Amino acid sequence: MTTNVSLMAIFPDLEPAADAIEQLRGLGVADDQMNVISGVPVTEAMLGRPRQWTNVPRLALGGAVAGFFIGAFLAFGTPSAYPIQVGRQAFIPGPPSVVILFEMTMLGLLLSTFLGVFLDSYFPSYRPMHYVPEISDGKIGVFFSCSQEDSEKITKAMTALGAEKVEAAEAQPL
Amino acid sequence: MTSTEKHHDHAQDHVAHLREQHLMLDPLPRGQMNDMVMESMHTTSWKFWVVFGILSVIVAVFLFGAWGYMIANGLGVAGVNRPSYWGIFLVNTVFWIGISHAGTFISAILRVFKAEFRRPFTRAAELMTTFGLVQAGFSIFMHMGRVWLSYWLMPIPNQRGLWPNFHSPLSWDLLAITTYLLSSTMYLFLPLIPDLAMARDRTPDGTWQKTFYRVLALGFRGTEGEWTHLRNAMNIFAFAIIPVMFSVHTIVSWDFAAATRPGWNSTIFGPYFVVGALHSGMGAVAMVLAVVQSRMKHMKYFIRGEHFEALGMLMLLVSMAWAYFFFNDYMVQWYGGDKWTQQLLHFHEGGPLGWMWFAMLVFNVVIPWATLWNKKWRSNPWLLFGVGLLINVGMWFERYIIIPISLTINRMPFTWRMYTPGVEVFLGIGTVAFFILLYMGASRLIPLIPVWEVQEGQMAHSLKTYGRETVVTVSELE
Repeated sequence: MTTNVSLMAIFPDLEPAADAIEQLRGLGVADDQMNVISGVPVTEAMLGRPRQWTNVPRLALGGAVAGFFIGAFLAFGTPSAYPIQVGRQAFIPGPPSVVILFEMTMLGLLLSTFLGVFLDSYFPSYRPMHYVPEISDGKIGVFFSCSQEDSEKITKAMTALGAEKVEAAEAQPL
Repeated sequence: MTSTEKHHDHAQDHVAHLREQHLMLDPLPRGQMNDMVMESMHTTSWKFWVVFGILSVIVAVFLFGAWGYMIANGLGVAGVNRPSYWGIFLVNTVFWIGISHAGTFISAILRVFKAEFRRPFTRAAELMTTFGLVQAGFSIFMHMGRVWLSYWLMPIPNQRGLWPNFHSPLSWDLLAITTYLLSSTMYLFLPLIPDLAMARDRTPDGTWQKTFYRVLALGFRGTEGEWTHLRNAMNIFAFAIIPVMFSVHTIVSWDFAAATRPGWNSTIFGPYFVVGALHSGMGAVAMVLAVVQSRMKHMKYFIRGEHFEALGMLMLLVSMAWAYFFFNDYMVQWYGGDKWTQQLLHFHEGGPLGWMWFAMLVFNVVIPWATLWNKKWRSNPWLLFGVGLLINVGMWFERYIIIPISLTINRMPFTWRMYTPGVEVFLGIGTVAFFILLYMGASRLIPLIPVWEVQEGQMAHSLKTYGRETVVTVSELE
């Protein structure tokens, strides 16, 4: 039976990290077995990685729809539940209802966008994770899993491509 | 020396000059920039703590002490009375909401338009939004008098069996300001997460600061997924928060414009207020940046003449827009010829506080136009600080003219009476002190420079030579 090991290769820059990812793929490491950690946003295209999936826009849209309905409840539902006729004013005023609908829709949109980041990124997460603090100093970490037998070969390949270190990835408290 | 060699030397000087001028062309290793930002937070002189202590006392006495006194003795200790029921409390509310517009303008609008000079000072501006809104909230609560009944504003059935309906602009205010406060706080926090993670990684174990950063960094590591979610969210925020920002001050303007009072009933008040908010907000950003650059360690690397220069240009542009809206509003009211409006306009210019009306025009228009057209002048941090300060004084005067002075003149001359402020003067000073205090406190805990955004910008910028000329180019990295 093959035993898998998790390794972390630290690169000083983007170029060697992108080369390393290509090399890893050539050595049989699938894309879903790799992850890249960086201190600055790098796009999938720069690294030659598959496009990342995110639910944030969908959650934002869902939040906007929910906010709209809450706004509609406030603007149209509550006057009906607690009817107060003020002089000859419209029972449900038109333009002010637009204001309420707009504000609640935007609040729903922005709140759900914010919460979407938490949901998609599993925030907050304080359990130990694979990480090295050098990442926030601008290094690029390529974290991958491979079989025990291949690890030596891959480590050599990574080092040849300019990895500053290749070591067993250890979960550490963040 | 041959002419080719001369040209070569000149070209090298030009490149060196470009690097010196532009932060984006003068990259340092990320670790070094992190160190500089961390050091700027931790290097504090005794003068800082003296100012911090004095401000704390002012906040305790002028804000919370005076507020407690007013709660104990009632709103009678304030100067608000017939016919000026809205006094400095509302002037300050509008003023602070105006200040809060700068953060969103700089962070969101400039992000949408990819204005690269924004990068090092977006956070400094965003902090102003959140802390400005806190002061606006305080001012509204003070104005309420019986602040413990503030929950009556909430759309919940109260003990009177009434559900607040939405006919009144004041209830729109509640929703708009709450939406804006929540949105701007979230928009401040999202791009802060990677910098909090950086601070977490560089703070020694076992300290309370480590726990603080660890909790707030939420376990951020910088994985591809985390960056993707963050970037998507920030793009959505940048677009969506702009209409929210416009709506807030427009709705604040409707508090006045929706009333059929002389001087208030204007259809142009919405955009006039928004531009006024940007005017004071930009001035406040210039003031904050001048202080941050001169007082915080290493900030001269991050905040340079180019930033003040760009900010000065924006201030000039906004000043022109404000002058346009002011004149438009004035012109139509003057031309209308309504008896009471004419009376009010004369009172603005020739009444006992007419000097305030002229000072408003000098501070908001004459001084910015006279100084900010000059590139060299507007690149000077302390000159921009002075202009920003005067603009803020001018904008405060504008709100004072619109609210208590305009309330003095109405259609019932037997009620005319000048407004004389009481305890609200101290409360106003307290909010200013509290704003500065919060900002100073935050500057010790929160990285004021979004280091990852600066690095991202530096990655995108490069120098390219066309023929004999070297120019700055920017790539689209997203």
